[in-house]
Amino acid sequence: MTTIANDLRLIKTVDNLKNYLIAAMKIEHATIPPYMTALYSIKPGTNLEAFHIIRGVAVEEMLHLTLVANVYNAVGGTFEPNTALLAPDFIPKYPSYLPTGSTDFQVGLGKFSQETVETFRKIERSQHVKEDEPLVASRALEEYLFDIIGYQPNRSFYTIGLFYTEIIRGLFALDKEYQQKGENLFCGDPKRQITPEYYYNGGGDIIPVTDIDSAIRALTVIQEQGEGSTNDRIFDAERELAHDYRFQQILLGQYYVIDKDDPTTKSDQPNQPTGKHFTVDWDSVYPIKENAALSDYPDGSEVRQAALDFQSAYSEFLTKIQYSFDGHPEHLIPAVGGMFRLKEQANTLMRNPIPGTPGVNAAPIFRIDQPSLS
Amino acid sequence: MIDINSPEFEYFLNLSVVLTGFSRFHLQGTGVAHLYFETIRDILGEELFGELLNIFHGLELEKTEQSIFSDRLRSEILASEKFGPITRNIIKVWYMATWYALPLSWRDVFGTKEKDRTFIISPQAYPEGLLWTAIGVNPPGAKGPGYGTWSEPPLVSLNQG
Repeated sequence: MTTIANDLRLIKTVDNLKNYLIAAMKIEHATIPPYMTALYSIKPGTNLEAFHIIRGVAVEEMLHLTLVANVYNAVGGTFEPNTALLAPDFIPKYPSYLPTGSTDFQVGLGKFSQETVETFRKIERSQHVKEDEPLVASRALEEYLFDIIGYQPNRSFYTIGLFYTEIIRGLFALDKEYQQKGENLFCGDPKRQITPEYYYNGGGDIIPVTDIDSAIRALTVIQEQGEGSTNDRIFDAERELAHDYRFQQILLGQYYVIDKDDPTTKSDQPNQPTGKHFTVDWDSVYPIKENAALSDYPDGSEVRQAALDFQSAYSEFLTKIQYSFDGHPEHLIPAVGGMFRLKEQANTLMRNPIPGTPGVNAAPIFRIDQPSLS
Repeated sequence: MIDINSPEFEYFLNLSVVLTGFSRFHLQGTGVAHLYFETIRDILGEELFGELLNIFHGLELEKTEQSIFSDRLRSEILASEKFGPITRNIIKVWYMATWYALPLSWRDVFGTKEKDRTFIISPQAYPEGLLWTAIGVNPPGAKGPGYGTWSEPPLVSLNQG
């Protein structure tokens, strides 16, 4: 891993690394509003299997966000006001490309549908690249939404996993450089780490990061939960089904089977699940406005007020998460509790038709509240 | 046939706003308005339910002043021997997600309806009861506020109505 030619590596300084990690938080988060929107558009009491599959993935994205924050803190990252999770461009303006720079598909906020689940599979798609090859494909400079590859604006990562592979390569190389200089890349205060006592059962184990080994472990969990461990397997190192295949189950209406004792030879092959069948009722879904914006809601309507309330609650949620990452780990659990309230607010919106638009229901808006000018 | 696409459903929502004190947005936001409408219709029968909703709609059409409207609602619906117990039941449905069997005195006069027995309307309706919002708590055993939040102040606000 450390033998790769230096010119293939994009992360050459700790500042590069920190930018990549902030971008990683942006990527992890960018998937949450789409997953939440589809999830809550399902009518209560229906599509239970699909609901739990999407929910499980969304919860793991929260874990990933937290793991990245741990790596960021471990290498001395700090959270300045209006940066990171609270930067004006932290939440993509949906529909949007993923912040990996990939521009072959866009992610939007839509109801639970076959099309939506297909997009979710693309988000979680995998592609494995040999260690001695570059991870980004050259592409023409085009409309550019995200500055994360700011250093390499003409390149993009095909998958989220490859983006992390770049970070892992960078970490190894920087760690070696620092050691040779007699310095420690992992200079962050361990008290800023989110440790298991501050993180409860949210999609896997939280890993406190204090050195290169724990950093790699944390990032590997993210890669593998998303994509599985190699191209021809459906499961990750924890023997859990990779996200892409979890979503595929919804489209096929059938579960994959993983043999936990002998996963390699006895588990299902990709695209050939053999588990229990389940029913997906694509109609038992609220007909919500896709990629809703505040301007979709009439002035003075309750729907508009509720959408604004949701937006504020979401901003507050991110504010609290950032505060907990910024040296106050004990604030994380109450902040995550706030997510449950967001669910109720989202549900209320989605069950209400937009006044003057029969047959189209409201949907939550994910924006950071702009500081008021007054 | 009255169903969720007929005007009576709108009358039902408007009546529910008046009876519960919660906004239409909040009531629809529970996600169980259709279910309640259909459940009550199936218990009472279309004729009786339709009659109540149309009387209410008549009051709405003739509404000029709020105080007169409220007085008429009281005297013509809530105090009515026929519709009083039904409207009180509708309030209980919204607040407790439960239909209570109509009182014996009502059944003696208007007859016993086959489906008129006390029951919780659905597992999804229970946590949506307005009672929980009204008193500012989470519905016990549902809408879990997350691990460890029991040591935090309640998150349900009192002014969602």
